[in-house]
Amino acid sequence: MRRSAASKANKQQLQGGYHFRILWVDLSTGESRIVPFGDRFALKYIGGRGFGAKILFDHLSKITDPLGPENVLTIAPGPLTGLYLPGAGKTHVVALAPLTGIYGDSNMGGNFGAELRQAGYDALVLTGRAEQLSYLWVDEDDVAIVPAPELAGKGALDTERAVKEALQSEEVRVAAIGPAGEKLVRFATINCDWSRNAGRCGMGAVLGSKNIKAIAVRGGKDLPVADVARLRMLTDRSLKDLADHPLFEFWQQQGLMSVVDYLNTAGGLPTRNFQQNVFEHADQIDGFKMEGEFKIGDTACFGCPMSCGNICLVKNGKYKGTITEGPEYESACTLGSNLGVSDFSAILKGNQLCDELGIDTISAGVLVGTMIEAVDTGLLQPSDVDGMKLEWGNSDQITALLEKMANRDGVGDVLAGGSKAVLEKWPQLAPILVQTKGMEQSAYDARATISMGLAYGTSDIGAHHARAWTVGKELELGAKWTDHDRVNIVMYHQTIRPLFDMLGVCRLPWIELGFDERLYAEYYSAVTGIPHTLDDLLERSRALYDLTRLISVSRGVSRKDDYPAPRMFERPIEGGQYAGRVIDRAQYEELLDLYYQKRGWSEDGIPPAEKAKLFKDRLT
Amino acid sequence: MPKRLSVVPERCSGCRLCECTCALQHFGVSNPKKSAIRVVALYPHPVIRMPVVCRQCAQPKCRENCPTDAITLEDGVVRIDAETCVSCRQCVISCPFGAIFVHDDIAVPFKCDLCGGHPQCVQQCPKAALQYVPEHELGEANRVAAVLRYAHMKEVEYVEKGERKKLRYAEIGREQSE
Repeated sequence: MRRSAASKANKQQLQGGYHFRILWVDLSTGESRIVPFGDRFALKYIGGRGFGAKILFDHLSKITDPLGPENVLTIAPGPLTGLYLPGAGKTHVVALAPLTGIYGDSNMGGNFGAELRQAGYDALVLTGRAEQLSYLWVDEDDVAIVPAPELAGKGALDTERAVKEALQSEEVRVAAIGPAGEKLVRFATINCDWSRNAGRCGMGAVLGSKNIKAIAVRGGKDLPVADVARLRMLTDRSLKDLADHPLFEFWQQQGLMSVVDYLNTAGGLPTRNFQQNVFEHADQIDGFKMEGEFKIGDTACFGCPMSCGNICLVKNGKYKGTITEGPEYESACTLGSNLGVSDFSAILKGNQLCDELGIDTISAGVLVGTMIEAVDTGLLQPSDVDGMKLEWGNSDQITALLEKMANRDGVGDVLAGGSKAVLEKWPQLAPILVQTKGMEQSAYDARATISMGLAYGTSDIGAHHARAWTVGKELELGAKWTDHDRVNIVMYHQTIRPLFDMLGVCRLPWIELGFDERLYAEYYSAVTGIPHTLDDLLERSRALYDLTRLISVSRGVSRKDDYPAPRMFERPIEGGQYAGRVIDRAQYEELLDLYYQKRGWSEDGIPPAEKAKLFKDRLT
Repeated sequence: MPKRLSVVPERCSGCRLCECTCALQHFGVSNPKKSAIRVVALYPHPVIRMPVVCRQCAQPKCRENCPTDAITLEDGVVRIDAETCVSCRQCVISCPFGAIFVHDDIAVPFKCDLCGGHPQCVQQCPKAALQYVPEHELGEANRVAAVLRYAHMKEVEYVEKGERKKLRYAEIGREQSE
């Protein structure tokens, strides 16, 4: 039984899906080379996050500091990126994470990944450190490291503009960091196509530590596809199915902003640093408010009919003239309800500022919320925060603090180090700083849904929702669930969601509009010319979870790190239908035991030594 | 009835499905750069995404400037004859919209041919930003919009029971209809 379809498939030759080329740039020497890879590597790691994790694993022994020149940053689209396929716009960025010190990745949409593939590469790897602030210019086979000291201190969006002007082309694709990336803020982002961020883990700081302010790419190569006719047939049909979905139009109108109203009604909208779960002014910051008063247009990532990006404009008031793509749900919550902000134009200002400064709205928002609560409850004195008048809903102070973080000014310098640095300086904040493994938690509560607690605890990058999101299902069906069900659903998510990240596609058509996940196997089969079932692919994404765990274990991660934030255990929810709920610690321990058992890891959460051998293979 | 491919930039999300499907239709490859339509996105000032595609001009500049008479206009479609074309790119430069494209792999410049009357980009556009409409409808939306704008600005004065009153054109008939 264990003889897998994958090993059978390995005997067939790939007829598409890959250029079999990784562009490897050593910024210290200025040399770039093409690293080829073979069928075995392609089929086993698939692409995107899979390639990134494997490359990081191979170089791990040489890396001590995530912000040292030795860190290896991989930017990898997947074999489906750039194709005629709904949601084919994703690119993964993988490196040892500055925010957490362990395995880290983050993905971005837009067009950058599709362009990188068209330039003829399946991945771009950066090592070393450029002598001075530069941008990397990849024009198919011509690769140049262009010194650009004049870009120092520029916002990420301004940088994109400046690089496009320098290259005299609006059609090149640019990924850039803001001042925060240059200043090595540990939750700095990489921004592409004006507003699509690789937000989490601090990948912008890795780029900053390498003295790379931006990456510009242009390409016109054909993407290798084994069965073009089948690809076209599948997508013609898929586009029709998506358009026929009853929620399609609503999704285009609101995108992820629809979640604000949904969660507030369900009693799950984090408010004032996860103290409450219902925000009394939710109707001032939800999708309907956005649509009615702020939205002026739609944007989409490459190849996506869903156009979940909302372009918003503030037409009056003190933030008049603010224009930004977004916010999506996470930002609306972390810069809105979770800071007590009820003025949607202030959220837009915060969102635009975070894009330009190049900081993650989730990490930044959670850290600001923690500061406000700390001052509010006396855990910190006003003098600790440079005398700022931090209070719930005070958007002027909030935006000022965002700028301080990105510029490492005063208290901002402490916050720029992320949760770990904050807790080192102020250990008394441990009960109120909502984080796991040093990563600030996404905007979903876990107290009413313990499976979400397990999802945060066992997510390989820290308290992020992208690996597993079980809130909706547990709210709906949780009453009938056993702990086995909970562990199974978390693990299923942690297996299928990384698969999207490996293939280089967005998971939202699947989550939001019922796109059949088996279709992705059909796509991969059509593109590679080797028949695959969904189970074949899931087997590989499941193995990848062992690989990322092994990377983090090498940095000291074990069971002790696999817990959601103390607040989720200790502080009962205020307000809403789940008032009073906390995660039961004993039940959580049992879930964790069960989880490790099902993963085949030790009681302490360590994969067996022989697993590491499975990933010691060569690229070719 | 001649039909035209018409673009509504305000609706475009910039997803480039039009580019993908066009390249598959004409060259059988997954390569948006081999498409006869291209979405140009600008941000933030002005913020716009607009598909650029041949308008099948009645007085085509590309034809006018073609030194080998390789460009013809038949049945409302401007075509480049690959046999006659010397690939000097003069048409690419002459087109006021930049709607003629080149690619290293393809011998001659290429442009929209309306897919023989069934433009694939129109069919796959998820935002209805691309329309294939009878020629006489072109401009109609703008005409109606212009009249509505005028009506919104315009007021009519009248006297009711000795009192001077103002009414916006745009309000006339609204109460009854509601």
